[in-house]
Amino acid sequence: MIAGRWEQLQSKSFLESNARERAIGLADSGTFTELAGPRHRISSPHLPLMGEAVEFDDGIVTGVGLMGNKPLFIASQEGRFIGGSVGEVHGAKLVNIVRMARNSHDRMLAANPALPEEKRPAVVISFETGGVRLHEANAGLLAHAELMDQFQDCQGKVPIIALIGSKVGCFGGMGFAAAAADTIIMSQFGRLGLTGPEVIEEEMGKDEFDASDRALVYRTTGGRHKYIMGDCNLLVADSIAAFRDALRGVLAKPHAEISAMRRIGSLEKVLHQLRLVALCVKLAPRDSRDVWKYAGNGSPDELADMDFDTFLKTAERLVIDDREG
Amino acid sequence: MENLTGQGRAAIDMVVDPGSFREGKVSALSITDEEFGPGAVIGTATLDGTECTIIANDAMAANPGFPVVYAGIIGLEEAYKMAQAVYHSILADRGKPLPEKRAIILIVDTPGNGPGKQEEIFGMNKATGAYQMALAEARKAGHPIVALVVGRAISGGFLCHGMQADHILALSPKFNTLIHVMPITSIARITKLDIEWLQELAKNNPVFAPGPDFFHKLGGVEELINSNEEMRGRVIVHLAEIRAKKMAGRDEELGPWGRGALGAERGGRVARSRVIKVMNDEFEKVAERYL
Repeated sequence: MIAGRWEQLQSKSFLESNARERAIGLADSGTFTELAGPRHRISSPHLPLMGEAVEFDDGIVTGVGLMGNKPLFIASQEGRFIGGSVGEVHGAKLVNIVRMARNSHDRMLAANPALPEEKRPAVVISFETGGVRLHEANAGLLAHAELMDQFQDCQGKVPIIALIGSKVGCFGGMGFAAAAADTIIMSQFGRLGLTGPEVIEEEMGKDEFDASDRALVYRTTGGRHKYIMGDCNLLVADSIAAFRDALRGVLAKPHAEISAMRRIGSLEKVLHQLRLVALCVKLAPRDSRDVWKYAGNGSPDELADMDFDTFLKTAERLVIDDREG
Repeated sequence: MENLTGQGRAAIDMVVDPGSFREGKVSALSITDEEFGPGAVIGTATLDGTECTIIANDAMAANPGFPVVYAGIIGLEEAYKMAQAVYHSILADRGKPLPEKRAIILIVDTPGNGPGKQEEIFGMNKATGAYQMALAEARKAGHPIVALVVGRAISGGFLCHGMQADHILALSPKFNTLIHVMPITSIARITKLDIEWLQELAKNNPVFAPGPDFFHKLGGVEELINSNEEMRGRVIVHLAEIRAKKMAGRDEELGPWGRGALGAERGGRVARSRVIKVMNDEFEKVAERYL
């Protein structure tokens, strides 16, 4: 790597960075090794049949790096290649990096059962994807199921941290995957959901949801909304350094504390989510602002537009008491 | 031959012991509110005399609280209701030996997840993710899980209700069973590829074309079933096979990972295993620096 390149990456906008820059910049300087990278020229065997161009990384950078003494297994999706979509090769790389982390964990613990947590592996995924790649839809869908399977194997062993702050956001089946991570870190430019805005408009009509209304789209799936809802744990500034600092902060915690940041993954979490669903029925929100107001934000209109630091200081997050009702 | 699309409840009766299905009950869980997640049918039945958990879609029900949740769509309440049924199955058999872990049978007929505004505001992705994690946990805890596709198994709906099973069975295409991410017309619109050409390509390209037989070729479905009468018998056979593998410690041959190997074996997904091998080999060369 060119000297000074890593330092330059740190101040770079996460939103503007490509997948490889994010992967390199998140790990400690000079520690990232790409696995199944472009030099292997493993591209989609299916795209040429459709007359589409290929990339030698199939739109995802996978590899291993360090953060202090901790091995990081990193996957970083590239939205500029067919929307970061998951095909057979892309999916296999993503699934296998998670599996590799868990296998490494088991291997290290077998060799040294007293291995301190600071040396145990973690998975970091920088999501930028709309989910399944339609050109190889069936293979992409199957890869999604494999990823959730690997995530479950990691529960209680290997923390999985999701980072969302890139242009495409994180949608479709990959929205499930991100939700199943231990910790979600977003910037205000990140978007997370299941159904994309155009499909909601198609289902509900333009009066209910206008997909061309950018502010509405951000209010519904953007980082600020997810932060208020508790659907992301941390909201950070838009730089690789800010994401890296937040990641380091999370990974310094004991694993039990990281697991406690989960939204789903146990009966207790499901019962908590059901209280939120009951609130959804009660409020029948026409807009995210209805929920922001319920959470204690007196002037929800201002929340979307105020500058980022003021937002962090001002925003009230939704709290539901599990002992109620 | 009867088409079972929209007939999730009838399909339950065709599989389990006659009259044995108790809806809403899974061990300590009892759901009596008929307006709560009505599109998801959960309960306990016996199959060949042994208790099992049933989770199915009811395409005739509509959720009064969520306008986009009807016709078998899995909404927020439906997904969490299904997840509860799974977690209570795990709790009920905690500490029991493998032969006594109750089976979970998924009857699949869903067009997808709730595609609405309220769903996005409160996080539909969490609900379906929660159900998938519950099923994966149950599978790894030793519960044999079979999914039986009797109608529609579409995209995210199939991902959460079906694809985490140990084995997936589907009625063959002559029953109009649908397994896909999107119809060809939608794929053409979004990818901007020529529809006639795509339709031609779809005749023999399993990797993108809709259809249970293509999923079979990719290893995404273990077996296609050719008559309604065979469903019950095949579920019983597969459950026994799954249980035997779990008892032999061959879990890796089951579930999504097992279907990966099946895809290579059937020739539908060969790039996957090649990539995994390259990554693993390359990692071994540098592992010492990291572990």
